[in-house]
Parts: sequence; structure tokens; C-alpha cells
Amino acid sequence: MIRDRERREYAFMLAPYLIGIAVLIALPGVVTFALALTEYDLIRSPRFIGMQNFRDLWDDEIFRTSVRNSLMFVLFAVPLRLLGAVSLALLLHRRFRGVAAYRTAGYLPTVVPDVAYALLWLWIINPLYGPLNLALDAIGGPTPAWLTDPRAAQWAVIIMSLFVIGEGFIVAMATRQGIPGELYELGDIEDASPLFMFWRVTLPFMAPTLLLLMFRDTIFSFQATFVPALIVTGGGPPPYATTYLPLFIYRNGFEYLRYGYASAATLVMFAMTALIVYLQYRIVKRWRHAFVV
Amino acid sequence: MPVGSAVDPIVMADLRFAGVRKDYGEIRALRGLDLEVADGEFLVLVGPSGSGKSTALRTAAGLEEVTEGSIHIGDRDVTNMRPAQRNVSMVFQSYALFPHLSVEENIGFGLRARGVRPGPAKVKVLAAAQLVGCDNLLERKPSQLSGGERQRVALARALVREPDVHLLDEPLSNLDAQLRVHTRAELKRLHQRVGATMVYVTHDQVEALTLGDRVAVLNEGVLQQLGAPDDVYRRPANRFVARFIGSPAMNLFPAERVDGSLRAGPFLFEARPDLPERVEVGVRPEHVQVDGGDAGATAEVQVVEMAGSETYLHLQAGESRVIARVGADIRPPVGSIVRVRVNPADAYLFDAETGETIS
Repeated sequence: MIRDRERREYAFMLAPYLIGIAVLIALPGVVTFALALTEYDLIRSPRFIGMQNFRDLWDDEIFRTSVRNSLMFVLFAVPLRLLGAVSLALLLHRRFRGVAAYRTAGYLPTVVPDVAYALLWLWIINPLYGPLNLALDAIGGPTPAWLTDPRAAQWAVIIMSLFVIGEGFIVAMATRQGIPGELYELGDIEDASPLFMFWRVTLPFMAPTLLLLMFRDTIFSFQATFVPALIVTGGGPPPYATTYLPLFIYRNGFEYLRYGYASAATLVMFAMTALIVYLQYRIVKRWRHAFVV
Repeated sequence: MPVGSAVDPIVMADLRFAGVRKDYGEIRALRGLDLEVADGEFLVLVGPSGSGKSTALRTAAGLEEVTEGSIHIGDRDVTNMRPAQRNVSMVFQSYALFPHLSVEENIGFGLRARGVRPGPAKVKVLAAAQLVGCDNLLERKPSQLSGGERQRVALARALVREPDVHLLDEPLSNLDAQLRVHTRAELKRLHQRVGATMVYVTHDQVEALTLGDRVAVLNEGVLQQLGAPDDVYRRPANRFVARFIGSPAMNLFPAERVDGSLRAGPFLFEARPDLPERVEVGVRPEHVQVDGGDAGATAEVQVVEMAGSETYLHLQAGESRVIARVGADIRPPVGSIVRVRVNPADAYLFDAETGETIS
């Protein structure tokens, strides 16, 4: 039984979090939902138009392009980011000389502010003086026009996201360190190859964490394109090669003052994210028996 | 040469440590271990925490590199071989079962890792499971097993590949007392049936005495004594072995010469002329005779511990504390005065400087 006094203490301690959720997430969520059914330009009062915004979105070629772009980004970025985080974790989970420096280097891009990080990449992928193309040129590789070739620009945004994997890396590393060392010692005694141990031991142990990271990264990836698309590629090259859903929503809301329309697009993005995470969950549920949970 | 080795020289050693030293930085875990384990022998390495017993086992398995010396299995020098090349098995204290694999997959892990096809592997797994009596558990996961069942699965996994040497690192320590006694007997039976070479590490001296064909007592990385359990108990090589083996531990008294006699705590012995300057006398608790007669020194009963089939008396005799192991029906009241005696033939003499037993 929780006594009244304890109940008050819990409420007091939870208050900042609950107030934050209410004011910063729940309330804007309700407002977004309401605005999605209106036409609102911040000057005139909102006008109820029912599902018209959603019908307009359906017919909007730019919206369809940004949905396609966002899905493609998630399709490539999520597995690659996960692969990067796991690879780093497996490389750096052991103690050896200098490991702290490597771990810091792995995490560092995550703490760089998004805008600074985007500006840095604007320089890195500059086709004329950027170090990436200079390096590629030096080894005789291709030198894509990252900012003017639509496909290259889409890859540039994906590549940029691959270095911001610090959190996934730390979580994956902690999970790997949690696997009892004796299992690997047994593998050594029983002549199990590293690949055998990876498939039969490491992966099943890490699978629940990796799935959690995948769900989280999927949600994150739908939103992560905003700053690079705004600052590095400007949503282009033309017509809309790197216009992703967040940029589409931002422009409609804050540049074209179509708040109702932007709210409707936000709800679609939310629904898409939820649907994909749900589908992922359904698929992985079938393999649950193979995991260590 | 190990101190106090009381068995015949072994003709064929299945596992041999030759001057093995193992350092962890400044810490010396093993200081030149020389030890031979015979083919088919059950050898128990016993010692307190930090004595180097587990390190010895891990160097034999190849999980730790030796700093100096060599390790031989059969006629092979395995010192620089990978664990997999040594053809040993290991049972870990935690059993190291894979929680996501069934019992069958756990037992067959080594076979599958070495590329044995599922069909032949299944036959061997079943045979090993039958040997330890876990063939009815093959479909289960480790989380669905009791401690004793997990222990059997770990044993079956060690047996399935028929390695040259089985290494067991405190495999019973996670079991409750009753199950430990039961499993101990099963392990002994299993060894008698299989006849494999087994090296068993424990800190429990009862396990060591009951299980081992021979017992090797280690302390601070040095082999103190190697011998049959009875030898180690009855003829301890030094003060450490005498105190470590036996429960309750041996009573130990510094001795002084008084008028041609040797006074050790409450006891008086005849002093031999060949004794060194400083001597200690050890008396096992079961050799302390307690009665209410006139002979012997007086002692006050301070604590009476009932242990079922026997009683432990904690006595204060003058300045000395004495523990006596007596029959279950002898239960003097706390605070009462009793007489304590010991047969001189039952006393052990140790050189107080070196700790060595004086024969």
C-alpha cells in the first residue's frame, strides 16, 4: 500500500517530467491533431475544412516525393547505422591501450550540435575543395557532385547520418560487455570459429538490444534528415531530391504559413513511423525464440 | 618436488605442469608449479581463495598463458597451443550454458563448432546425456532446469567429445548443501565408470577428500602437498595443510620446554631431544578427549555446537582456546568445567620457523 504521503512525494518528484510532457508533447500533439482539420495561416482564425488537407496531401507531388525520400532514407540509413554501431561496439568492447580515445572518437560526433555538424559536412562534401572528393580523387575513385547530383545528394545525407551513432554504439557495447566471458572461453576450448560464435552466441545475446535500437533508430531517422536537408542540400538538388518529410512540414508551416496543411503532414509522418515500427515488431516476434531474453 | 608426496612415481602422466609460473603484473599466482596427473586419475586441486588453483586449471586449458615453464598433455607440449588444440574440456563454476540453446544444443555445441554433422552429433549427445542422466531434458532450455540439472548438462557437454583431460572449476559450488553431497557421489561414480582424467578445483576440503584419488593442496601459488586424501589428512606436510584440511581446523599451540617436558596450551608432552628450538603442536579436534574425570587439564566450556551426529565444544583452557569434536550425546552445560587430554601419538609437531611437519 502506498500511503498518501508517499503518493504526494511521488507526484512531487514526477511533476517536472509530467508538466514537461503535458506542455511540450501532449498539448502540441492535440493542437496538431486539431489544426490538421483546419486551414490556418497564423493571420486569420483557423477554419474547419474536415479531411481536405489529407486529400490535398494525397494529390501533392512534392509530398509524395518527400514521403518516398524519407522511406528510402530510413531503408538505407537504419540498417547502416545499426551495422556501424554494432561494428564499433564489437571492435571497442575490450580493454586495450588507447581504447578510451577510440571510444571517445566514436561517440564525439553525437555531441556536436546538429547545425555545426551540418556546416562541417557542407565543407567536407564540397566538390571543389572538400576533403572527401580530394581524398577520393587521390585514390582514383569517383568524385560525385554531392550537392548537385540528386542521387549523390541523397547518399550524402545518408553518409552524414552514419557518424552520429554514439548512443547506439554505447548501448551495443554495454550489451556486448554483459555477455559472460566464460561463454567465449568455452568457444575457445571447443574450437568455435569467431563467425560461429558471432552467429550462435553474440547475435542472439545482442538481438533484443539491437531490435530496440532498430525501433528507436527508425523513429529517429524520420526526423534526423531535417538539419542536413535544410543546411547542406537545401532540400535539393532540384526539384526535391532531399526534401524529406520534416523539411516539407517545416516549409509548409513556417515558410508558406500553411499550418493546417503542415499539421496534417505531421500526422501522416507520425502514422507512418508507428506503422513501420509495428511491422518491424511483428516480423521480429517470429524469431523471438532464438534470442536471449 | 612437491612437499610430502607420498605416492609412487607415476609412469604415464596425462597432464603435467613443469615449473609453471604465472604472473599477473606484480602478483605471482603460480610460483613454479610441478604436478603430474596420471592417466585416468581424479586429481583435486584444493586451496583457499587466491591460492592459484583456478589459475593452474586455466593455464592447463590454455585460457591463460604461462609466464614460465611448460604444460604437457600426454606426450605433447601444449604450452603454446590454443585451447582448442589441447583437446581438453572444461566445466565452469557458472556452468556457462547458453541460455538460448536447448539442452541438446548445449551438449552438442562443441561437436557442431568442430563441424560434426547433425546426425552423428545427435547420437553422441544422447549417449553423453544418458551417461549423466539428463537424456529426458534434451528439449528444455537452461532456464527450465534446476541447479543440479544444469550441472549435469555441463558435465555431459564436457564428456561428449571424449577429450584427453577434463578440467572442472568448482562445479558444485552453486548447489545447495544437500544437492552438493548427492552430486559429489554421482560425480565419483561417473568418474569410476568413464575412467577419464579429471582435474577438479575446489576450495572445499571435504569435496577434495571425498572426490580425489589424490589431492594437491595449494597456497599462495605453491604446491604444499600432493598425496592421497588419507595422507593429506593424517600426515600433513606442514602447518598450512594441517590447518586447512579438516573441519573444524586443527588446534595449534606454541610449545615451550618446561623441565624436560613440552607444554603446548593445556597439554603436556614428553620433549624429544632432537626438536628444534621453537616448536608448535597441533591437535585435531577429534583427538581432544573430554571428560569429567581427574586426569588432564581443566577447561571451561564456552560454546556448545550441535552438529547432528557430533558436537563441537569450544573450550577455554587457561590462556588457550581448544576446539573438541565429541560424540553427539556429550553436551556439557556452558560454563561447566571439564578435563581435556590428548594421546601424545595423536599430536602433530611443527617447526615454528618453517612450518614444516616434524616427523
